[in-house]
Amino acid sequence: MILSRFARPVGARQRSRTAAVQTAAVFVLACLSPTSHAGLEEGRVKAQVCAACHGADGNSVIPGTPSLAGQPRQFIVTALFMFREGRRKNDQMTPFVEKLSNADLNDLAAYFSSQKMAPPAHKTTPERIAEGKAITRAQNCVACHTATLTGQQHIPRIASQRHEYLLSQLRQFRATTRADFDGTMTSATQALSQADIEVLADYLASLAAP
Amino acid sequence: MRIHNILGAAVLAAVAGAVFAQAGVTPATPAGAPAWKQGMAAELSQSPLHPFAPHLTGRPSKDLPVSKLRVPDGFKIEVWVDNVPEARSLALGDNGTVFVSNRNLSNVYAIVDNGGKREVKTIMKGMKSPNGVAFDKGTLYVAERHRITRYDGIESKLDNPGEGKVVIDNLDPNSQPGHFWKYLALGPDGKLYFNIGSPQNITMPNYNEASIVRVDPKTGTLENFAQGVRNSVGMAFHPKTKQLWFTEHGRDWMGTDLPNDELNVVKTKGQHFGFPYCHQGDVLDPIFGQHRSCDQFTKPELKLGAHIAPLGMKFYTGKMFPKEYQNSMIIAQHGSWNRDPKHGYNLIRVSVDAKGKVTSHPFVDGFLENAAGDPPMWGRPVDVLQMKDGSILFSDDYNGIIYRVSYAKKAS
Ligand code: HEC
Ligand code: HEC
Repeated sequence: MILSRFARPVGARQRSRTAAVQTAAVFVLACLSPTSHAGLEEGRVKAQVCAACHGADGNSVIPGTPSLAGQPRQFIVTALFMFREGRRKNDQMTPFVEKLSNADLNDLAAYFSSQKMAPPAHKTTPERIAEGKAITRAQNCVACHTATLTGQQHIPRIASQRHEYLLSQLRQFRATTRADFDGTMTSATQALSQADIEVLADYLASLAAP
Repeated sequence: MRIHNILGAAVLAAVAGAVFAQAGVTPATPAGAPAWKQGMAAELSQSPLHPFAPHLTGRPSKDLPVSKLRVPDGFKIEVWVDNVPEARSLALGDNGTVFVSNRNLSNVYAIVDNGGKREVKTIMKGMKSPNGVAFDKGTLYVAERHRITRYDGIESKLDNPGEGKVVIDNLDPNSQPGHFWKYLALGPDGKLYFNIGSPQNITMPNYNEASIVRVDPKTGTLENFAQGVRNSVGMAFHPKTKQLWFTEHGRDWMGTDLPNDELNVVKTKGQHFGFPYCHQGDVLDPIFGQHRSCDQFTKPELKLGAHIAPLGMKFYTGKMFPKEYQNSMIIAQHGSWNRDPKHGYNLIRVSVDAKGKVTSHPFVDGFLENAAGDPPMWGRPVDVLQMKDGSILFSDDYNGIIYRVSYAKKAS
């Protein structure tokens, strides 16, 4: 597999290096008072191993790999937690979370949530946009993912996410094979047809942040 | 696990559709509506309301506005321990161990107090929604979605509890979505009382669902104790009358002020509390209530507020709190998501006077910061535990924190 060079757990060497840089970061952090920034600098350092797949600033350029930039912090922690506990599984992703502590998850989330999401790489037609928009209203996607579809709390940003990733996740939710923290998302996709899913992925991937 | 749930949902939705078709009414959402919005009234179809979820790693109390918590005069509130991710139900061991359960996560924790320094041990992992915990004569009982197990002599083997012995099994035969995590209460008769909730939001339960049942741990025999209970995640026996009082969550998607969640009491085994026909004792369900009257069912002792989500409760029998607290109930309210503005996210005290009059009083407030906010709160109370010194603990699953409330007469 092409990505096998990445497929090793975050080893002891990696962790002691991050620990050293962390000590330096503590000083920087002390100057950043609001708690919303807590962990951001530690996170930046810890995120170096994620860059190859998710992009240094959390904007992925790999088709099936999700962007993390601008994702709500609580969602990132939830997703990492699910991978670490083995409730969500992925051959590429799982090895990178197995050894992370709760503090690591929170620092990584602080970093990626503070990164700016890049403009969408995907384009579609105005008809598709109108169609997609209508489904997100009719099926209440906007209730949870917010009116701009940029997510909130434990609910992810789906606007401007990678097209192939959206397609595969929606198909998996509908097939009940994508791990789902509280079951609502699996439930939400049960009323979608395969055609709806194609429209949604097309629309969402092209949707820029407001 | 999820997989079965959802297949169940599809089957159930089909069944619900058949029920609607027979009654000749058009459901507000079509048959096959996703479980999370099942039963949504047509005028709410564009509602921005959504469920909240706990912070799965927990949040340290030092980052939270704990100083905003308010208690009545003379009381004190403090953080007892943090870093207990998704702390749910509480039980107290004879030697002072505090057992803590999970609902979305899969652990049971034991908290040991080593002279003021509290240690959180994860004693069980990989369980299926182990929301119910109860302690009796050295034994810890744990209720998962599908079974109840016992751990005898648990306090002497916290580091290696071993496999539990099954008390009762097959409690979740359909593995369907719905209210199937359990609350456990130990009865004065030594039996274990717990809820088997309703599938989805508002559907016709089967003979075993939407009920409170009890099992004798000696024999494993299961009996129905109360019916028509949508979901109860808090129950306790009155110290004098020995009757079972319980909190109950009403249905969603009927609007901001309907229906009220309830506080009930079981006076006779087998009483029916109304679900899915009648809500809050006096409101017929738009679909299931069509051929019923609310007079057919037992009414609540108290209406607590719509969607306020009352959870764990205990009768206060300690020596520390003022006289009027004796034998009154302390109830944790998780707070609303299915209404705007939000309310709850607090603890109340409910007293019953000699004439049987039931009254609610504020007890702990301050988690609700902005009733119009999203999220509106920074913490969510779940269960209550009385300690040997008469103080009480309560859990907050949103942050994984346990708080202590104590009382000291003011030196005047
Ligand atoms: C070898 C490539 C690779 C590396 C390195 C990697 N990831 Fe991932 N990550 C993935 C893939 C692929 C997925 C999508 C998995 C799926 O389809 O379920 C993913 C999913 C995620 C998700 C869930 C996103 C969502 O929208 O659901 C998060 C969060 C995440 N990764 C964070 C990280 C962090 C933090 C690191 C570094 C510690 C990291 N990843 C390292 C490949 C990688
Ligand atoms: C009741 C709330 C709710 C509704 C309604 C809802 N979602 Fe979700 N959605 C969630 C939650 C929560 C998650 C995160 C699930 C998890 O990872 O455990 C999620 C995850 C997703 C993901 C995966 C994104 C990622 O980065 O991994 C996609 C795509 C998605 N939702 C699209 C939709 C679409 C399209 C709709 C409307 C058809 C919709 N959602 C409706 C709550 C909801």
